[in-house]
Amino acid sequence: MAKHDTYDAIVAGAGHNGLTTACYLAKAGLKTLVVEKNDWIGGAAVSRSLIDGWTYSNCSYVCSLLRREIVRDLELPRFGLQVIPYEGGATFTPEGDYFAYMSDHDALRRELARHSPRDADAYDRFSQAVIRQCRFIRPFLLRNAPDPTSLRPRDLSELLFLVKQAHGLGAKELGETLRFWTMSIGDFLDSYFESDLVKAHIAGAGIIGTGLGVYSPGTAYVLLHHYMGDVDGAIGAWGFARGGMGAISNALGAAFEEAGGEIIKGAGVDQFLVRNGKVTGVALENGDEYHAPIVASNMDVKRTFLQHTDRAALPSAFTKAVERFKIRGSSAKLNIALDRLPSFPAAPKGATFLRGDMHCSTTLNELERAYDDWKDGRWSQDPYFDMLIPSQIDPTMAPPGKHMMTVFVQYAPYDLEVDGVRSGENWNDATRKAMADCVLDKIAVACPDIRERVVHAEVRTPWDIEREVGLTEGNIFQGELTFDQLLFNRPVPGYAQYDTPIRGMYIVGSSAHPGGGVMAAPGANAAREILRNIGKGKSMPDFAA
Amino acid sequence: MVKVNHVPMGLIETPFHARLEPLSRAKSWTGWAGFISPLVLDTVEFEYFAIRNQTTLFDISPMHKYRVTGPDAAAVMNRLVTRDVTKIADGRVGYVMWCDEEGMLIDDGTLFRFSATDFRLCCQEPMLTWLLDTAWGFDAQVLDESDAIAGLSLQGPTSWSLLQDAGFAAAQNMKPFDWREVEPDIWISRTGFTGDLGYELWVPKAKALDLWDRLWAAGDHWGVRAIGFEALNLCRIEAGFVAAGVDFQPVHAVMRLHRGRTPIELGFGKMVHFDKGHFNGRRALLQHREAGARYTLAKIDIAGFKPANGALIYHRKKKEVGFVTSGVWSPTTKRNIALAELKAPYGIEIKDDLWAEIYVNEEGRWDKRLVPVTLQDKPFFINQRARATPPHPF
Amino acid sequence: MTDNRFDAVVIGAGHNGLTAAATLAQQGKSVCVLERADRIGGMSRSADLGGATLPEMAHLLYNLNPGVAKSLGLKIASRALPTVALCPAQQHVVIQGKTAQYANGDAHPDAAAYAALYQRLKTFAALLGQLAEGAPPALAGGMLNAKTLQEMMALGKLGLGLKRLGKVEMREFLRVILSNAYDLILDELSDGPLAGALAADAVRGAYAGPRSPGTVFSLMYRLGNGGDVTLPIGGMGAVAAAFADAATKQGVQIRTDVDIASLVIANDRVQGVLLSDGTTIHADAVLSSAGAMQTMQIAGIAHFDVEATRRMRHLRNKGTTAKVNLVLRNLPAFTGLTREQTAGRLLVAPSAVAVERAFNPAKYGGISKSPLIEAVIPTLTDTTLAPDGTHILSAIVSYVPHGLEGGWTDAARADLLDRVVQTLEAYAPGIGELITHSQVLSPADIETMTGAPGGHWHHAEMGIDQILTVRPANLMARYAFGVGGLYLCGASAHPGGDVMGAAGRNAAMQVIKDGVLR
Repeated sequence: MAKHDTYDAIVAGAGHNGLTTACYLAKAGLKTLVVEKNDWIGGAAVSRSLIDGWTYSNCSYVCSLLRREIVRDLELPRFGLQVIPYEGGATFTPEGDYFAYMSDHDALRRELARHSPRDADAYDRFSQAVIRQCRFIRPFLLRNAPDPTSLRPRDLSELLFLVKQAHGLGAKELGETLRFWTMSIGDFLDSYFESDLVKAHIAGAGIIGTGLGVYSPGTAYVLLHHYMGDVDGAIGAWGFARGGMGAISNALGAAFEEAGGEIIKGAGVDQFLVRNGKVTGVALENGDEYHAPIVASNMDVKRTFLQHTDRAALPSAFTKAVERFKIRGSSAKLNIALDRLPSFPAAPKGATFLRGDMHCSTTLNELERAYDDWKDGRWSQDPYFDMLIPSQIDPTMAPPGKHMMTVFVQYAPYDLEVDGVRSGENWNDATRKAMADCVLDKIAVACPDIRERVVHAEVRTPWDIEREVGLTEGNIFQGELTFDQLLFNRPVPGYAQYDTPIRGMYIVGSSAHPGGGVMAAPGANAAREILRNIGKGKSMPDFAA
Repeated sequence: MVKVNHVPMGLIETPFHARLEPLSRAKSWTGWAGFISPLVLDTVEFEYFAIRNQTTLFDISPMHKYRVTGPDAAAVMNRLVTRDVTKIADGRVGYVMWCDEEGMLIDDGTLFRFSATDFRLCCQEPMLTWLLDTAWGFDAQVLDESDAIAGLSLQGPTSWSLLQDAGFAAAQNMKPFDWREVEPDIWISRTGFTGDLGYELWVPKAKALDLWDRLWAAGDHWGVRAIGFEALNLCRIEAGFVAAGVDFQPVHAVMRLHRGRTPIELGFGKMVHFDKGHFNGRRALLQHREAGARYTLAKIDIAGFKPANGALIYHRKKKEVGFVTSGVWSPTTKRNIALAELKAPYGIEIKDDLWAEIYVNEEGRWDKRLVPVTLQDKPFFINQRARATPPHPF
Repeated sequence: MTDNRFDAVVIGAGHNGLTAAATLAQQGKSVCVLERADRIGGMSRSADLGGATLPEMAHLLYNLNPGVAKSLGLKIASRALPTVALCPAQQHVVIQGKTAQYANGDAHPDAAAYAALYQRLKTFAALLGQLAEGAPPALAGGMLNAKTLQEMMALGKLGLGLKRLGKVEMREFLRVILSNAYDLILDELSDGPLAGALAADAVRGAYAGPRSPGTVFSLMYRLGNGGDVTLPIGGMGAVAAAFADAATKQGVQIRTDVDIASLVIANDRVQGVLLSDGTTIHADAVLSSAGAMQTMQIAGIAHFDVEATRRMRHLRNKGTTAKVNLVLRNLPAFTGLTREQTAGRLLVAPSAVAVERAFNPAKYGGISKSPLIEAVIPTLTDTTLAPDGTHILSAIVSYVPHGLEGGWTDAARADLLDRVVQTLEAYAPGIGELITHSQVLSPADIETMTGAPGGHWHHAEMGIDQILTVRPANLMARYAFGVGGLYLCGASAHPGGDVMGAAGRNAAMQVIKDGVLR
């Protein structure tokens, strides 16, 4: 017997953004339901135990972008969220050398000077330039993107805010900002540094999760997107969520339930129900139907409208815009259980930088070639990876003495090419293993004994991530972070304020402004939009003030 | 596999650390450009009076030191700094400031001229990349000597006597801002940061401890005392000198916009030589001169006895017009003194009816006081002995 | 010495230098143009090879600024050419403006989509074109200041134009303006020679693949003055001559073979130019159509702020375009093309994917085995250019790096020639046999011959980070170049390169506006 029930609002998808929206709706007094297709909540912010004793943050793996305003407002620490900053990072070379990023500024200067005395000074200028950009952009994250074609007072006031912020920059800084937003990370770094290794170490943040190369214009912004977060106000710092990234979702889920919300797991949406241009609820794959005048989709915009919505309910121009919205799978993930800490022969004893992000790509050209492979449907034969061992800091991630390693791999295509055919179906155990071997071979540059340490490994291709998490092409941002898909263009020009052509229906995931990363800003901004539309706008704090 | 020289973590020792460490009773150290540097070795008070009454040694090795050499060295330095370095003679030292293209101060420092083709620049902020950028396209080389050269500041009224007893009689006829090689590899400049008689001595790192021992041995009769930064800072403020990162924000280091200040705003308009040809920021500084200063860094005397560091300054007790950047009780002049940044026209046209808001903690109880502020034209501490040549014995 | 005193001196007798000179002369100023080479023209000039008159570098006109042409009274005879997108499977596509069809007359399945895309781009390009008509908007004093509001008028006009487009088109403009050509094209067309032709046009002369964000802008830039591609009658030298005539008619003196030693500068003001032979030419303004960095070096780096020098050092100007000129004893037979079609602009860019792929090796100092080619046989249109029966094939080859791995040796040039001929053989079998003379100019050669930095067409990459208010660099975009009276008037200034003349005209107008001339 199929179940039917009625709510004030339904959120489809229990990712961190969906849960954030849900929390705010529930706290505003709406009877709110979250439906989640998996048997667990979290979307791409999850902690999974796939082998006894180990916990994997098997999608997202580190935390910085999560807006502190939201954490404080929803009291997430009370629900178990703890974010611990990590201390450094390193890029290892095949020659047995490394460049280490150290949070100790004096040591960092010495380390930079070891590679290039000039770059030691350059680093300060570089980080000053980046932090200036971060300071400029951060106020926009918890605001709506203004619609430049609109004359509504709210849009005009958002535009005015933008102009004011820009005005405050002055002519020189405004010019630098224009350039920064349109440059490639490669060109940006080339203008500061001379050491290939230093450049390669920093450049990774400009390509993680994107279908762009280090020399593609716009990747300086992607770097900014990875730097604009903070841990306790330290801009650009990253940390581990204690217990894995699922701690974020679990805290959100608990906060939601405390506010009276209800979560149904194992309940994938089949169809968003629409009548007369208005949303009426969701029909689940299991036949249940739930009704509400407000439905928020945490799924990306393509999945929401191209797979779960009746096309007849949508204007064709909108559908076309959704179709051409670019969500490109470009990254894979290896999650590895280790029987003990692998050796890092290049590192000195007690090196703190091992407790951070580690890489083995040593030049910008190497990174650019990795991109060339991906464009042609191959995983990078010489891949970039962002590798961490959180169990060094977080004892909850692995049994005593044992460790958990998370390896984010850039680039891996969604539609893998095999024998001239490009398709996601080409990902199978054999191709997965071949890719993993390629990555492990390169990890061995840093840890020669890595293969002996592996107890269990999970290989997740864009195809796998799409199928499990539901992210189109496994894209971590629910849509490329290129200028044509940011601000008022995200996800679709004219529908960049979480609204859709269907009344009562909202996009609350990373497909919306300000985009991806475990930030929760789209979810919070969308909640504010929803509440404002039903006359409850005052029930949410104005973060932007 | 390459052999990697792992860099040390944390603070590292200066060439004089072996002598400073045993002298440290207070165990009060700070980091200065990555080096361990004493804040206080014994007590601030006695170290301060040693500067004003005897003679003191302060380790200035962490200063950044750059050597600029080559046929175009003078042109490069003239491009860098606001004053005309061609007017600094060989064997002389000049206090210099340099600006970015918007006329905002990057840093100040001392420029030691060996010859028209050979200079050394000493400063607080790392400047290698900037110097390389400045020298790009010129026939000049830039060398970072920071680690190679150790420096000691010998300051106080008996400094000259100590030098004489240590065998450096050659320094007798050195005028302020002179500098010379008194012995192979030992350079002395008559410079300092105290407004008092004093010298700075420069040697290759390997000869640092020998120099220390020689000075220390000669200093017993002259009351030599090793000091930390805090005592020096008191004298610095008494002398009215500005400190980077305190009284102005080096523009290359600021994250927040509009924190930069021009040399003119800091009271160094006379050091901007517009007629010497182009130098960095010249066009912007001309515009600033035209438009007038936006701020002024003023020397102020504050009523009462409570140091005013960080105090906000008000006009007519109401309008906030600035704040204290450096404020101390001056033990020598017995005045409550400070440097303060005031927003124009305050401190320029409007000099009266200014008040400092001081928070005082007396045995756990906080109290707010508004006390009157008087602007000063001259440094708080001025003593003729600082300039006498030959110097007085004490 | 009255001969050597002018109101203004212009450095470089390319089309921008000549336009700047003519524009100033029209305002009653005495002007002298100094050219380092033994002839005028810069990149638009003719050369003799085996008795034929070649367009040595640039070979077509497509972006000549109508305002410039009109105000200078330029008389350039030219003929519009169709574009022929060559297809390895001989399904060539003939493109004329917004129409596209197969060479055999069959309808192209994407014809309607192409027409819509082309029209839209042209409309957008015309809007952007307004911005080329003056100095780029200044940001001085921030954005809310009355003085700068006037400067923002150009942007305001753009805004008004956008409003007039209507909401839907305005949104589309704001979406695609910073987008990449690859996605824009493939969102509308299936990949093949038609898509390839558009993609190749978007990146010709650029150091960017069609997947690079910003390439939609460069595609629009090409279409800014209508998008028609025309072949000048009498060769490219005739274009240069027309500019020179316009200038001399206004009383401009043009001197070639002049080597400039330095600028004469006193009190931060330009006083004139010192030549290597010791002559001083006095002037109140110097306009330089040389590259921005070269101009800085001629003036003397000491006259510039360190930041300005640093920006010039980091200017992106890696040239990617080589020129291959062939003299053929007979007309080559392109399979599937009529003689009239063969006279068109022939593009070898089989698909957008192929264009992107061709860029890959250039990033690492290599050259693609399948280079992109824009070829034209001008002798089919203008028979006076070569002796009876012989023909010229002029080919612009894309994605040939300035910094070729191993350097530009004769062997490297021979190898490039070979790749180009091999590529053309696929479409015109036997063409290699017809070659009597050949000339290969690498980007490095073009730099040597014209002074264009990096051999780059636009003197500085036309990336979004180097256009408008930040062209050539931040705080240096208003033609005035540091020292009082010194101005940039070449392709490195706004709005950029192509045989357009707008940079020269805008710079001259800025000189007048700034009142540096008495």
